[in-house]
Order: sequence, then structure tokens, then C-alpha cells
Amino acid sequence: MIRFILADLNRFKAGALAVVVLIALSVALSVTVTLQERAVRLGSARAAEKFDLLIGAAGSETQLALSAVFLQPSPLPLISGTILAKLSDDPRVAFAAPVGFGDSADGHPVVGTTTRLIAALSPALAEGAVFAHLGDAVIGADVAKRVGAEIKPMHGAADEGGHTHTEIVYKVTGRMAPTGTAWDRAILVPIQAVWQLHGMTAHEHHDHAGEAAETVAANEHDHDHEPHVEAEAGIDEHFDAETPGIPAILVKPKTIADAYRLRQEYRGETTLAVFPAEVLTRLYATLGDARSLLLAIAIGTQVIVIAAVLLVTVMHVGARQRQIGALRAFGAPRRAVVAIVWGELFLLFLLGLALGVLLGYAAAQLISATLTARTAIRMPVEFARQDLSLALWFVVLAVLVSVVPALSTLRLSPARALRS
Amino acid sequence: MLALDISGLEMRFPGLDTSVLSIPRLHVPAGTQLAVTGASGSGKSTLVNAITGLETTTSGSVSWGDTDIVRLSAGKRDAFRAAHIGLVMQDFHLFPGLSAFENVVLPVRLSRRLTPAERQRALHLLETTGIARPDQPIETLSRGEMQRVAVARALLSKPGVIVADEPTASLDRRTGTEVAELIVRLARQDGATLVVVTHDPVLMERLDRRIALEGGRIVEDSAEARAA
Repeated sequence: MIRFILADLNRFKAGALAVVVLIALSVALSVTVTLQERAVRLGSARAAEKFDLLIGAAGSETQLALSAVFLQPSPLPLISGTILAKLSDDPRVAFAAPVGFGDSADGHPVVGTTTRLIAALSPALAEGAVFAHLGDAVIGADVAKRVGAEIKPMHGAADEGGHTHTEIVYKVTGRMAPTGTAWDRAILVPIQAVWQLHGMTAHEHHDHAGEAAETVAANEHDHDHEPHVEAEAGIDEHFDAETPGIPAILVKPKTIADAYRLRQEYRGETTLAVFPAEVLTRLYATLGDARSLLLAIAIGTQVIVIAAVLLVTVMHVGARQRQIGALRAFGAPRRAVVAIVWGELFLLFLLGLALGVLLGYAAAQLISATLTARTAIRMPVEFARQDLSLALWFVVLAVLVSVVPALSTLRLSPARALRS
Repeated sequence: MLALDISGLEMRFPGLDTSVLSIPRLHVPAGTQLAVTGASGSGKSTLVNAITGLETTTSGSVSWGDTDIVRLSAGKRDAFRAAHIGLVMQDFHLFPGLSAFENVVLPVRLSRRLTPAERQRALHLLETTGIARPDQPIETLSRGEMQRVAVARALLSKPGVIVADEPTASLDRRTGTEVAELIVRLARQDGATLVVVTHDPVLMERLDRRIALEGGRIVEDSAEARAA
């Protein structure tokens, strides 16, 4: 039986191949949509894991989370340095680290922060040491530079027409272990260096600390009096009332209760406190809607493909009346003929399903790899248990659909089939 | 070996007033070798379809031995044909992609497992019919060889009846004669009743009895002629 089915399919190679490809492509579409949505969701959730609570100036919660967690460049209003000082001394806070972005180097975001945040992201460095001087830098795992390399920061990004900061050249002193987050692409430098570079030194530029409404990226700071950065000077991670403004503060609360209390406290007229995980959950809801839509389209194409396949097979059975009639005439029982037609079609469906899953998986991997290369966020493409039930549904559907042309052979009279 | 008894057989096609086949009585004793002749459209193929159960009859009975195949269900009729009637057709109806051996055993394999005895018989039949390599793909055989494979297939289940519908019409004269000889010889060897639709006078000569059809009626029967 199997031998006959294979010989028969071999005879209709081109048609069988077309049917398999058609099914495979439509299956691949659904598989890609499902896998990719899951990959983005898991990847970004894992990327946000290390960011418990973010505090920034009043503005968009989503923007604050996206900027700090995914280092998406955007102009954020600055929050006063006194808040950073206050949080640093708060007994409910394990640590509070400033996150100062706006600069870039060779397409990598340059982020001003403290050694505490580096320790939180990468408890042990992959190589080298954390920064000890204003001119030191620690790079993320995906930054293609060597320890000891020099980095010339640029204000804004090159494609936004930013200008190079000539006042300082950072020297790479260490590299973080891979974290699977956007921070793998970042260059981390002491926050004081960023302040000094932008003329926001606490003791010289009191006026700047108050510009909460302005943004670092859009900040047209005063270049008349050249800011000066002493690259050799040691870092000072003590913050007080004199501390300049920053776009965001990452807070690691001691307990969950502390986290909720802190968020409550810093949700106010001038400050914003968000759990990035919560913001992401909201975004996922949108992502979920998009997935539903895409999946509906994918299933729609599957229905069209199945209808096309049905049409092809019904016509095919018509064209094969002679063969089917001969099989019956020479003594093959009707159930054998039904099984042959059904088996052939079902085999094509299964092949299409297998090929489609492989194709969809490969496509999702490719898309994830592209996204990871751009954002450094690891997007795990993986199958889940509920995919199995989807596949099972497809198989059941395939059984039912392929039974239709098979049963249509029952009505054929062998003599009439032979005559045609 | 089975005797054929036909009585009151009528075959009509929808939309046609006159019946395409009308045989009030026909008795073919078991083991007879019968030739059926007639012009095209005379009802020869319809007769073949009726006596093999490929087509349902309008009325009357067609009995092989004690079995009236008209009264069998479609499935049972298929099973009866598979067990008792070996068919050889003008167009061979072999299946490309399979070997000569696989073609011979295909009908059996599609209904059940092939027994070792059937396997042996299939190989023996291929040898008898002159197919040197049983594993040769069917599409690489000559037309004469293809018909020999078809003959081997018809004989596999040791049928009591062999029905051949113009078995030599699509072959050249020499191979046709060889194939005809083969069918007659093997049918006699197995003691099977043989019904051959043919125009081939050489083939007709070898058979015991000849009936001629015209307009769906028997207009000539050599047995009656002899009796008369």
C-alpha cells in the first residue's frame, strides 16, 4: 500500500510538490507569527527582569521604561539630582543608580551610571575591571571593542547629525558578561563624566541642575565656556543636593513591599515611578492584539490553501478515474482505494506541516537574530506546549479534509471509470 | 472452474430506449473456452462488464457456478471478482513506478497480506509468461511483455474464470499471437473457464466455442450451430 502510494506520488511529483509547498508556506506563516510574538515577549521580559523600579521626571511611563530598559534613544525630561541623593540614603533602597544617556559611540549608546549598576547587571565582569577614573569605560558583551581601546563619544547619534565630544576619550577597562539585554550593546561610563562633558558639573553649573524640563539629547548646552573633563580624576559615587539632573534613576528596593511603597511615593507632580515589567505587560497586550490579527490572517490563508488543495485533489481524482477503476476491476477492495487516495493527500498534508514548521522556525530564528543584532536583546525562539495542540488541530483538519476526495471515489463505478 | 449461466439479462443506459444488451439465455459449461465477437458497439464490452460485475445489470441474473453476482452487494461483488475472475484488458492497466512482480501482486496486497505461496506463484507465473526479471520497472517493458505481466496478474489467485477483453488488439501480430497462445494454454492448464472478446481469427480458431453479438443480441452461436 505504502509502496503504491509512494510510486503514485512519484508519478505526480510536480503537483505533489506544489501542494506541499503551498501548505508549508501557509503553515510557516502561522508558525512564524506565533513563535516571533513569543520570542519578543520572552526576550523583552527577560531584558526587563533586572530593572525593578524606574524613577524619572513626569512624562511618559512607556518612554521612560523603553529608554532605560531597551536604551531606545529619546529625549527624556531630567529629574533633579536631589532625588537621586535622597534615594541613595533611603533605608528601603538596596541601591539607586543614575542612568544618563544621550551620547553614542560607533552606534552604541554611551550610558552614564555607577559601578553599582554594573555589578547588578554583571556580578562578575567577563574581563578587565570596572571604571575607577572619569575617563574609564566598561563595555557590554556585544560591543566589538577590546579592553584598552579608545572611545570617542558623540553627542546624540551620528545619523541625527550629532557632534563629537572632543573633550574626552574614554578608555575601555572592562567588559561585562552577556546579559541578554539591550545593555549588551551599551558603553557604560561614570555618570560624572557625562555631567562634566555636558557642562553640568555640580559645583560649576548650578543653573543646569534645575533645567528639569529640558532633555539631554535636545540640550543645547552652553559651549562658550568649554567644559572640562579630567579623565584621570577618580570617580565619586556619592550624591547630594548639588547633584545635577539625570534622565532616569534605577532603584533596587530591598523588598517587594518597599518597591510598592517607593512607587507610590514617587508618583507625583514632578516625578514618575514605574515598574518596567508592568509597562511591558501593557505593551504585550497591544502585541497580543497584533498577534491575533496576524494569526487570523495566517489562518485565513490556510483556509484558502486548503480550499485550493481540495479543488486540486477533487480534479485529480477525476483525472485518475481510470486508474481507480482499474484498481477496483483487478480486485482491490473499495477500502483500499479510499485509503490510497486519503493516504496520499494526508501524506502531503503531513509533509507540508513538517516543512512549514521548519520554515516558520527558521524564519523566526532569522528575524530574532536580526532583532538581536540591532537591539542586543536575546529573543528566544522556542516551541511551547500549546503549540502541540495547534499542530494536533491541523492534523485532525488534514484528516477530515483529505477524507472528502477519498470518499468521492466510492461513488465511481469501475466500468464507467475504465471507459472514461 | 466455474460454469456461466445467464438468464433474462438486460442492460440499459439512462436516456436510451433500447437495451444495449439483451441475452435471454446463455449457458457456458465449466472449463469452456469461449470467443465473443462482434462489431464495435455490438455490446461486447457491456457483456464483459456484466459477467465480471463491473457494471450493475438492469435486470436478469448472471451466475458463476452457484453465485448470482447480480444479487451481490457492490463490495461482495468486488470480492467475488477478486477471488474468482482473472481480468486481462486491452490496455493492460499496469501501474507505472512499480516492478513487474509488484504489479502482479498489487491487487492481493491492497486487500491483505501476501502469503509466501502467492509470492512463489507470482514468481512462477512471471517465469512461465517469459518475464526474465521480476524486479524490472514496468514502464521499461515492451508492450508484449506488459500484456504477459497482465496475464500473470490475472492468474495469480487461481481464478475459476479468465475474462480477456481484446487482449491482443493493441499488440502487433506476432506478439499478439504469442500472448493469445499463452492465455489459452494457461487457462487450459489451470482448468479455468475462458471468455475472450476478440476479432483475431487465429485466436478464435483455438477456442471451443464462438458467439457473435449484434445490437446487443447473440446472432450466432457455434454450439447451437453444431447442435442443429
